[in-house]
Amino acid sequence: MSENTNMNANAREEYLAKYDRGTHWIGRISTAVCIVLFLGAPFVIGLYIGAMPNLSAIAKGYLSVGLVWTVSSVVEFLVYTPMLGAGGGYLAFITGNLINMKIPCAMNAREIAGTKSGTSENEIISTLSIAASSLITIVVLALGVLLLIPLQPILQSETLKPAFANVVPALFGAMAYQYYRKNLKLALIPLVLMTLLYIFVPSLTSQTSLMILPSGAITIALAYLAWSKKKPGDAA
Amino acid sequence: MLEVLNSAPMYLICGLIILFVALVCVVFMVRAYKAGIAIGMDKKKLNYAVTSSITFSILPSIGILLGVIALSGSLGTPWPWLRLSVIGALHYETQVAEAAAEQVGIGQLSASVMTPQAFTTIALLMSLCIIWGMVLSLFFNKSYLKKLQGKKKDSGETAKKEGFGDAAMTAMFIGLVSAYMGSYIGGFVSGKGMFTFQGDYVPIIVAVVSALVMAVFTYFAEKKHMVWLESFSIAGSMLIGMLAAIVL
Repeated sequence: MSENTNMNANAREEYLAKYDRGTHWIGRISTAVCIVLFLGAPFVIGLYIGAMPNLSAIAKGYLSVGLVWTVSSVVEFLVYTPMLGAGGGYLAFITGNLINMKIPCAMNAREIAGTKSGTSENEIISTLSIAASSLITIVVLALGVLLLIPLQPILQSETLKPAFANVVPALFGAMAYQYYRKNLKLALIPLVLMTLLYIFVPSLTSQTSLMILPSGAITIALAYLAWSKKKPGDAA
Repeated sequence: MLEVLNSAPMYLICGLIILFVALVCVVFMVRAYKAGIAIGMDKKKLNYAVTSSITFSILPSIGILLGVIALSGSLGTPWPWLRLSVIGALHYETQVAEAAAEQVGIGQLSASVMTPQAFTTIALLMSLCIIWGMVLSLFFNKSYLKKLQGKKKDSGETAKKEGFGDAAMTAMFIGLVSAYMGSYIGGFVSGKGMFTFQGDYVPIIVAVVSALVMAVFTYFAEKKHMVWLESFSIAGSMLIGMLAAIVL
């Protein structure tokens, strides 16, 4: 192991290129298998319970609700893939729950490890983080399903209800502190703009996952302005 | 109907798929860990990344478990268990399942009117609508990331573009967080009519409590050099934030 830790630049480059190829290879195969499994499962279940899916209802349902999710899938892919990297990206799209868990989880791990996006270190940390997070969800759900009968009354009790209704605000509150304190000036404008938007168009509060886009775009534009001012010599 | 949906073969079908996904995660994790060691990353850093992600994910996962419980009343336990263990997201599954129930003509998502065909149709629609992230990932993850990296190299000489890639990710995340924070404030101010200040204030308080606790954690981690705290700070902040919702 010790000769590995001191590998020279060339060997490191080569190793990482090989690692990267492997990641894409395993990522693609497992994604393809999962697509087949997820789409095949309803048919296998159909064989067991004796009724196949009604394909015309599928088509109609898809047109009514599916299109919105198709658009948001494309957007999620374009926005989150660069944040997650290769390994993290494949895993996160297989295991889901991106906005409310995987993305903040990977950002937090990255913050703790202090890695920069686009580096190999970041790719590794991000993959570790998404894999660990996915496994925890799988374990918690498996235990939960196993203990469903004794757990159900506790988890659904009136006392605990408000706590679980507020998992997301609790998550983003903590993350907001972490990110706002280092970028207070940058955060102020999107926060004020988004707040005003929701105040004047209250119906948008149910569309928060879509409102991330304009909010993110404004913040990136502001960050770009601030950053190009900082180094006026380099600005094209 | 619910008996069939909760029968052993259903658990077997769904459980095997979940097991496969778990194995994929383990493979990725072991590879990444080994690669990290091989290129000389600090073992501690790698361990922190894992432990922080574990503590981070417990509470949201319990939230997701509630989704399984919520859907199990109409779809049985195994299918929601599969959907939410893998690709799904809570807000998505419920919405699509309800829309699908309408399309198959049972009107509502309820065990009393569920038929075998309604179930398989709902199940397939739930899988289908959210499959596109995976499809795109399968075909374009590699070329997309390469393209981004290529861009970076073209202008890489000036180390400047590289600087912005990182700043852009941070900015995107700040935008994301701001969209949520804004929705809590907006929801309170205008949730029950514009400027009535009658809306739900609990999310704001939860977010603020959670942020304050996070500040305390950060103080101890940075000023008192209790670095190990970082792995638990988000989970701890969330827990106390959520407790505030109970007290309110």
